[in-house]
Amino acid sequence: MSTDDVVMESLLEAFIHETDEMLEQLDEILLESERAKSITDENINRIFRITHTIKGSAAMMSFNTISSLAHSVEDVFFILRENPSRLNIVFNSIFDLVFKASDFFKRELEKLQSGEYVEGDASEIITQLTRQAAVIKGENEPEKSSDVAQENEVPDTGACLSGDGIAKILVFFENDCNMENVRAFMLLNQLQPYCGELTSIPLNPETDAALAAEIIKNGFTIICKPLNSLDEVIKAIEGSLSIKSYEVLVEEVKESNEPSADTADGNNAEFSSQASLDSKNENAKTQVQTTATGVKQSLISVNQSKLDHLMDLVGEIVTAESMVSRNPDIMGLRLDNFNKSVRELRKLTDELQDIVMSIRMVPLLGTFHKMDRIVRDMGKKLGKKAELITEGGDTEVDKTINDAIVDPLMHMIRNSMDHAIELPEQRIALGKPESGTIILSAKNTGGEIHINISDDGAGLDTERLLAKAKANGILTKPESAYTEKEIYSLILLPGFSTNKEVTEFSGRGVGMDVVKKNIEQVGGSISISSEKGKGTTFTIKIPLTLAIVDGMNIAVGTTVFTLPITAIRQSFKVSDESQIIHNSDGSEMILLRGECYPVIRLRDLFGIESARESITDGILIQVDSNNSGYCVLADELLGEYQVVVKPFPIFLNKYNLKTQGLSGCSVLGNGSISLILDVNSLRND
Amino acid sequence: MTNVVKTSEKADYLNDRFLLFKIDTSYYGIPLAMALEILTMQSITRLPLVADYVKGIINLRGKVIPVLDVRQKLCFPECPYDETTCIIVMDIRGMHVGLIVDMVSEVITVAPDKIIPPPKTFGDKINYIASVSQLEDRIVLNLDCELFFQNDLEIAMA
Repeated sequence: MSTDDVVMESLLEAFIHETDEMLEQLDEILLESERAKSITDENINRIFRITHTIKGSAAMMSFNTISSLAHSVEDVFFILRENPSRLNIVFNSIFDLVFKASDFFKRELEKLQSGEYVEGDASEIITQLTRQAAVIKGENEPEKSSDVAQENEVPDTGACLSGDGIAKILVFFENDCNMENVRAFMLLNQLQPYCGELTSIPLNPETDAALAAEIIKNGFTIICKPLNSLDEVIKAIEGSLSIKSYEVLVEEVKESNEPSADTADGNNAEFSSQASLDSKNENAKTQVQTTATGVKQSLISVNQSKLDHLMDLVGEIVTAESMVSRNPDIMGLRLDNFNKSVRELRKLTDELQDIVMSIRMVPLLGTFHKMDRIVRDMGKKLGKKAELITEGGDTEVDKTINDAIVDPLMHMIRNSMDHAIELPEQRIALGKPESGTIILSAKNTGGEIHINISDDGAGLDTERLLAKAKANGILTKPESAYTEKEIYSLILLPGFSTNKEVTEFSGRGVGMDVVKKNIEQVGGSISISSEKGKGTTFTIKIPLTLAIVDGMNIAVGTTVFTLPITAIRQSFKVSDESQIIHNSDGSEMILLRGECYPVIRLRDLFGIESARESITDGILIQVDSNNSGYCVLADELLGEYQVVVKPFPIFLNKYNLKTQGLSGCSVLGNGSISLILDVNSLRND
Repeated sequence: MTNVVKTSEKADYLNDRFLLFKIDTSYYGIPLAMALEILTMQSITRLPLVADYVKGIINLRGKVIPVLDVRQKLCFPECPYDETTCIIVMDIRGMHVGLIVDMVSEVITVAPDKIIPPPKTFGDKINYIASVSQLEDRIVLNLDCELFFQNDLEIAMA
């Protein structure tokens, strides 16, 4: 910020980023307020501030539509700020309007991001907002006028208070820096955190572009009452862009000034309440803004492709590290110093990897909040009542995964609202609470994130599902042969939609199969449980990160497989064939601590002829899968490695290796390739 | 995607040039523009559950690419790999694929008038030959690469 040569592009990026964040805050406040059926003073102020800032920065970037829409939202909340009691008159419509405005901003931002920016038309929303503003104002004409009078009083009193800790600063902007009025406004915004009271000559410079000429001629006078010391204010001015010179006109800072008390003494009682309210607001504002700036300073936004590259590099380093430490040239040698260095290197690469991973982690909270909106909007449209409860929003996942699950989650929430939650009358008739509940929860279970979406709606109707599947010809075996779980998973098949009519939100029959595909793309899985009439729960399980897994390399013949360490329970030798129980269908099992576990011979499963045949020559590895545990028979364990997961070449998509128990492959230190086993799909049951 | 672009740019001076390889006793050609590099035989990681002619995957400087045995794909009897066996890495619709061939012979330039349409075959057996180049001393069968990978690509691209 200290130099002028700020590239337009980075400004734009910052604008998009900041505005995006503020819009999220705005949505949050609105939802919270709507639920609470009232807006607190604090929240009105926050909304006011948000729209005010958006207006200012949009004007600076000369996005006029955004700026003027923000202005009209700000107007409405300006009036509300003065007359909180008027809120009731417009309570319902105001939320819809502001949500509409917020959606409009988001669309504009998206357009900006895609690089093909054509300003949208916000005139309709603006008109509606103006009408609302008139409604609030109109019914309250006399009171309003007194408010205006009061409003005018504040800057006046402020000005004449110049002997009371008020400083006047005359600022000149650089020649030819353009948009002086907006710059002046930005400067005021920057000074906000340091000042108890703040006004300027000309007043509200951002409202009139013609003021720019005046500012060039006469300079811009800031009249403020510093919160702590004038030095802070001056420092902030010095740190601002495009300022040619500044001059402090009056400086009489009193020691330990107490703005509200001081001002109240010399004025009437009415003003005192106004002033203390004001100063309270200002204080709150100051706090919020300082925390905001504090966070901003320690955060930088980074292009995601750079992070992806960094991640790739770390992957290469991990591979290179094992290339060195397990180099065949040094195998069997006793190299104490070397081993020490290798351990050090390993420690550092581990740390590096952890850091890079953590950089890529984002909390799910943002995604969850988006769902709030959907439940609200759909509830209104469909005339249903439902509440979304989110749990574990602070759970962090890799950015790639976060991005990949937004659409599926949205779709599933829509489904729940559309298909599962009944209309209020039906719910009452069924003896359920009038308002439905959708619980969206996330928790970290070590290697995986579990996301649950459960509703207390109608539940899945197995008979209807079967009939529907039959009608669509997607059944592969006789109806009676389907288990409950299998019937539920029918809805995940392409071309299946249970709703008879296509609605605006869901039910095009391209739904759950896409959800499933998206989730599988990031290595996740989805399962369904349901009880008719009680509700449905979808469980999504996704790996924490995609890129690097700790694995145990095992050899089966000449093929090397990698088993994720997290899935391994134990490994053991079988000394005696008689420990193996032969099932009637030819499958094998083994009894471990009183429980029976199936034995899977990788040799037979994958047809690897070079592998050892006898079970006593190999080693059994007990693994945990989603459904149950089982044992895998391999020739030998090769040791623990960190491997970088690479997907199979798309050329091989035809063979669906992912569903056959292989989740990917990985290049080992010696240049050979290992196949990564997926314990959940290895055993088909 | 970049590869596709490159290929079309290259096309000008790579036109009419073919990379010849030998399977059994006959010579086959593929457009030189599609060939990326030639590797000596190396250890291939076998993949379970794939077609016989898909020999597995290899690590090409950190990139994992599938390799196919052209002999088997063309229904010749299998024979052990020897020191002349090579892997031609080629680019098909932006994907890299390795082809195992008995021997890589040479790069030739064939004038368009020397290239004739392939002979008609009987029955519905798939014929991968796009055209035949008549050289002075021999005949080269030019592979239709799209057709050659058709059954692999159908689903891979879907």
